Amino acid sequence: MTDTELVTVDGVWNFQYRYFAGETASRFFAELRDERRIVGRRCPGCQRVLVPARSWCDRCFLATTEWVAVGTEGVVEAFTVLTAAFPGLPEPPLAIAYVTLDGAGTALLNFVDGLDLADIDASAALLLDRPRVEVMFHDERHGRMTDFHFRLKD
Amino acid sequence: MAIAGVGQTPYRRAHADASTGDLVFRAVSEALNDAGFDRGDVDAVVAGVAPDALAGVNCIEKSVIGAAAPPGAPFFRVNTGGATGSSAMLAAMTLVAAGRADVVVAFALERMGQAVTSQQVFNTIFDPIYEKDFVLTTITMAALRASLLMARYGYTERHWAALAARNHRLALKNPLAHLHRDLTVEAVLESPLLAWPIHLYEACPMSEGACALVIAAGDRLPGRGPVAWVHGAASYSDSYAMGDRFDRPEGTLVDLVTLRRAAEVAYRQAGIADPAKEIDVVEIHAPFSSAEVMAYPPLGLCTPEDGPAYVDALIDGDAGGGSGGGGPGPVVNPSGGPMAANPVSATAMIRIAECALQVRGAAGDRQVDGARRAVATGQGGATQFSSACVLAAEPPGGP
Repeated sequence: MTDTELVTVDGVWNFQYRYFAGETASRFFAELRDERRIVGRRCPGCQRVLVPARSWCDRCFLATTEWVAVGTEGVVEAFTVLTAAFPGLPEPPLAIAYVTLDGAGTALLNFVDGLDLADIDASAALLLDRPRVEVMFHDERHGRMTDFHFRLKD
Repeated sequence: MAIAGVGQTPYRRAHADASTGDLVFRAVSEALNDAGFDRGDVDAVVAGVAPDALAGVNCIEKSVIGAAAPPGAPFFRVNTGGATGSSAMLAAMTLVAAGRADVVVAFALERMGQAVTSQQVFNTIFDPIYEKDFVLTTITMAALRASLLMARYGYTERHWAALAARNHRLALKNPLAHLHRDLTVEAVLESPLLAWPIHLYEACPMSEGACALVIAAGDRLPGRGPVAWVHGAASYSDSYAMGDRFDRPEGTLVDLVTLRRAAEVAYRQAGIADPAKEIDVVEIHAPFSSAEVMAYPPLGLCTPEDGPAYVDALIDGDAGGGSGGGGPGPVVNPSGGPMAANPVSATAMIRIAECALQVRGAAGDRQVDGARRAVATGQGGATQFSSACVLAAEPPGGP
């Protein structure tokens, strides 16, 4: 057995999908694309505004009832800067952060710019201080989460 | 009930010389031999397999039933991401506790050595509507927590590097570990940065292999060799969205609410009031050194605020000997933990297997002297699932 040449068989997974966002996320994306607004859904129980929008609150187990436009500025809750390249993922460096927008009860994730990513340590030091950021809506919007990103406030 | 047998393949980047069935056959045969049972004694089988795309085979467990038990045994697959292995153990325990089986084989299989790259696969476990676009992977989700721990509790990059060096050094005594690297803190800090603040050597490797446990009802055990008695075990789940876990009363993204609940229940079942004094060994499921510190407060080893000082004491305690036994409280990760081997589906079961070996005095070169009671954690799904399992040398209530 020890002299046996070990066989490996090549394979690839490349399935096509269409992910269904559902009614609530679809409205969230329409507001983003058409009105340049970030909207959430208020829970009638805990009064949290869930952003991005969801149709039910998994704390109170109640259907959310009200659309609320939240602020276009907020605070960084947690962040990282991707610095290594991985096959199939976008080219680094890329800063991402969870941000709680003013008026929102939860945080949403997106890219952050306005940083000098040539200096990772300095960028990290800035982001560690939980800085404020603003939402930058892109000129071309497609009704996707990638229609905006965050920018560090001065 | 008790863990009557343990079986493990070595964990390696790839087992190109073994078929998937070979890996399961080896681990289960070793566990059954260790327990003194044979395949005819097996009443049920629980298979732990995490995301299919890691191996690139859908429902790979179907093909290896015959390596675990004869046709006819009830069979269940469990998947809770990183916590898959401990969830499989808890499912097996539940079958025994419910009286539906006396002897259950739980095995956990990881074949991710077949994946050319893993981070692209891990990106697909995240929500494609709201989050997947933003380079979420196992590394970036861990890095988000590491930065939060630094901002909130004052951990430094040096803490992550020192803990990584410590785990890698402990793994030198574990022949099953995938990596055997004697690293200085400086060498860890100089390894490539993956996602700030996580460096390459602070991240787990891609590993494959299989782990198996035989879980048996207490009345099936008299006259058999030493076993690891289950004194407590619990597992809990959390809300999915990470963004919902910053501002809430029960705890933030880095407070491991689920592990706190699991440990509280497992300790209560085990009659443990002061875990830092009453437990000899802790095996923590943390694929990144920065993730390990999140487990200390829920396990009762320190408060969240004292975390950085606890890490310092752990590192200082190792100085000189490097046995891992000089720190405060229990010995943490005598196996080297997941930093030295992370076969994703199996990692949480390996923590339990290692604790079982420790309380039986059967852990070889990595044995902690006099270990009688140990706790293993399981962690998975972007800190969405946690388990705690307390094992001891004596049966509950004493010998």
